[in-house]
Amino acid sequence: METSNAAIAVSQLTRRFGAKTALDSVTLDVPRGGVHGLVGANGAGKTTLIKHILGLLRAQSGTVRVFGRDPVADPVGVLSRIGYLSEENDLPGWMRLDELIRYSRAFYPAWDDAYAEELRQAFALDRGAKIGNLSKGQKARAGLLVALAYRPELLVLDEPSSGLDPIVRRDIVGAVIRTIADEGRTVLFSSHLLDEVEQVADHVTMISQGKIVLSAPLRSIKESHQGASLDEIFLAAAKEG
Amino acid sequence: MRSPAAAVAWEFHRRHRWGLLALGAYVVVLAAVKFAMLGGQRFAFRSAESFAFAVVVPTTATFLYFLAVFTFGLEGDIAARESIYPRRLFTLPLSSEALAGLPMLYGCLAAAGLWLVTRALAVWPAKAHVPAIWPALLAASLLAWTQALTWMSYPLRGLRVVITVLWLSSIDAIVMAALHFQAGEGVMLAILAPHVPLAYLVSRAALRRARCGDVPDWQRLFTRSGSGASRFARRSSPFASAFASATTAQVWFEWRRHGRSLPLLVAILLPFELAMLFLFRETRAIVVETFVIILFTPSVMAAFVAATVATSTAFTATRPMSDASLIAAKLKAATWSALISWLLVIVATAAALGLSGTAPVILDGARWLVKAIGAPRGMVAILLAFAFLIGSTWKQLVQSLAIGMSGRAWLAKGHLFVTLSLLAVALPAAHWISRSKPAMAALWNAIPWIAGILVAIKTLLALWIATRLIERRVLSDRALLAGAACWSAAVLVLSAGMMLIVPAVLVRPYFLVCIAILQVPLVRLAAAPLALVRNRHR
Repeated sequence: METSNAAIAVSQLTRRFGAKTALDSVTLDVPRGGVHGLVGANGAGKTTLIKHILGLLRAQSGTVRVFGRDPVADPVGVLSRIGYLSEENDLPGWMRLDELIRYSRAFYPAWDDAYAEELRQAFALDRGAKIGNLSKGQKARAGLLVALAYRPELLVLDEPSSGLDPIVRRDIVGAVIRTIADEGRTVLFSSHLLDEVEQVADHVTMISQGKIVLSAPLRSIKESHQGASLDEIFLAAAKEG
Repeated sequence: MRSPAAAVAWEFHRRHRWGLLALGAYVVVLAAVKFAMLGGQRFAFRSAESFAFAVVVPTTATFLYFLAVFTFGLEGDIAARESIYPRRLFTLPLSSEALAGLPMLYGCLAAAGLWLVTRALAVWPAKAHVPAIWPALLAASLLAWTQALTWMSYPLRGLRVVITVLWLSSIDAIVMAALHFQAGEGVMLAILAPHVPLAYLVSRAALRRARCGDVPDWQRLFTRSGSGASRFARRSSPFASAFASATTAQVWFEWRRHGRSLPLLVAILLPFELAMLFLFRETRAIVVETFVIILFTPSVMAAFVAATVATSTAFTATRPMSDASLIAAKLKAATWSALISWLLVIVATAAALGLSGTAPVILDGARWLVKAIGAPRGMVAILLAFAFLIGSTWKQLVQSLAIGMSGRAWLAKGHLFVTLSLLAVALPAAHWISRSKPAMAALWNAIPWIAGILVAIKTLLALWIATRLIERRVLSDRALLAGAACWSAAVLVLSAGMMLIVPAVLVRPYFLVCIAILQVPLVRLAAAPLALVRNRHR
């Protein structure tokens, strides 16, 4: 099981919500190490795919494996190796930041107190602040802190900088993601902001109407579409798909 | 649709059109029975129960439905501190007067209209005097106050339920007292007339505060009392002391989120109840009645709190814990919640009984029991009674987990609707059976069969759930066996206790075993992890 080289292996995954097909025979391999960008318009199926990876949705057909494990059958084995930050940022508003840290630390044996404190100071977060009273950007930073402090093997970011100011986006996109990738860990980063993905991704997967229309290393995409921006490439791929 | 008033009315109609359509059909049936079949004549009902089935139960059910619709109670968390009024409406370009006034106007019209239509179209008993106006005003007043009290923000979770129930009960009590003294229509109108304007003023003030996010918070006061130590700990170490395990952390999470609500609610109610022991220390009957009410307070309050315990968030779903561990944490927190509430009740009641000098009244009752059935059986009866009360408090907290953890709002609402409907039918039916000798005899003969069938259904459901749990590998074989052993032990202890108290001549032992099997929770508890699995991995 552990011999799997792929951090994420999705095969022929299909998901329907009533009459709507959210994912249509999606096959995706995310190798260990590096930053994998998942791009697509709103409603393309990015969050649905990520929910399958986290085991929050059961595959109706096809398979999903994370580090060779089924996230639905083995939520503990999978989730303990994933750091997750969602667009909705559903941190419990009634907790104080120090309580959130104390609580989160209990789930992850590899939790690094010194690193957590370093991140807290870097993000300028007050230990006694109530999560519910934080601004949207501060909540995103708090979510990122508890997602990073145990140095997860896979960091899944679902539209993490959506609606945030440029400084928070810089924190998330610029500093953090690149650092994790440089340490040899894996980042799956979903966004509809193509320029953001372009800054950090090694590999880009484009998803449109539940189908993967393009998946390749960013460098080779750019080489094969000389002079074109990622926006133009995406639009062309979506039309062809 | 150009006016906000029309838009608000349209929204009520659009969201609840099926319920309103069913109500319209009922009204048509009422009118058809009265005018087509009876030619508008009054009718001599054979019993009060027949009238209750035909008119009182449907009208009461419709009124309850109106309460849920016009308070927006079907959309929000009734136990939350925040106003239940939908936040999306706060951003409309409407004044707080309009936000409070329009739903209240429609609600009051619907409640009053319900009475007027029922009065005009229902078949009433031949000699009954049916008042015209004041019941309509009472319905409007109760609805308006329910709106005001549910739209208000509260400093503690669950306090809304307590205050609303107490306030509506006191209005009912005033009306009942007035009827008892045969007050005329004029007096009734004078008593009820100020309620709707007052409720409007309260709801307007409540919405003004809720609209700007003003929610009082007493929980901070409780945490502030212990904040000195925590502040010191925070200074000395970056993140205070660690939890021993993920399970401990999750139990703490559940306790902080839901567990404290029940002890807090009990602590709020208890002083009022205990005050009765001091106020009426000379009246033996009231002392005994108050003591019984106190004993049932935790389990009644637990029924209100249960809806909040049975919730799960996306944040919890992404914790690296098994489904069974997440449910186990909820069960542990519920156990602590029930035990602490009972510790509070026992200590405070014992102190109040001693200080008020009413302890001899209760001790006399215990002595009478011991004298009547003997010391060992008396002791067992008292212990069983306490175990039953504490167990039923815990049971109330956890038995709706399976429904709540499924994450399906329609299931929770459907369950509530079915429960209320069954209650509405069961209470008059039970009353009718208790007054009919042939029905009582038939029921008495059928009791062993009914108990047997219920036990068979429970056993089959439990087996089906156990099979699903094994198939889906939600619980380990060991956990499943341990659960089955605990349940069997509880059934055995309860059966043995009941057999010791109740002589076999009066009730057959197998029937007592059936009661124990039905009483100890199994099916809904075992279904909770399955419900979470379906919700967590949809």
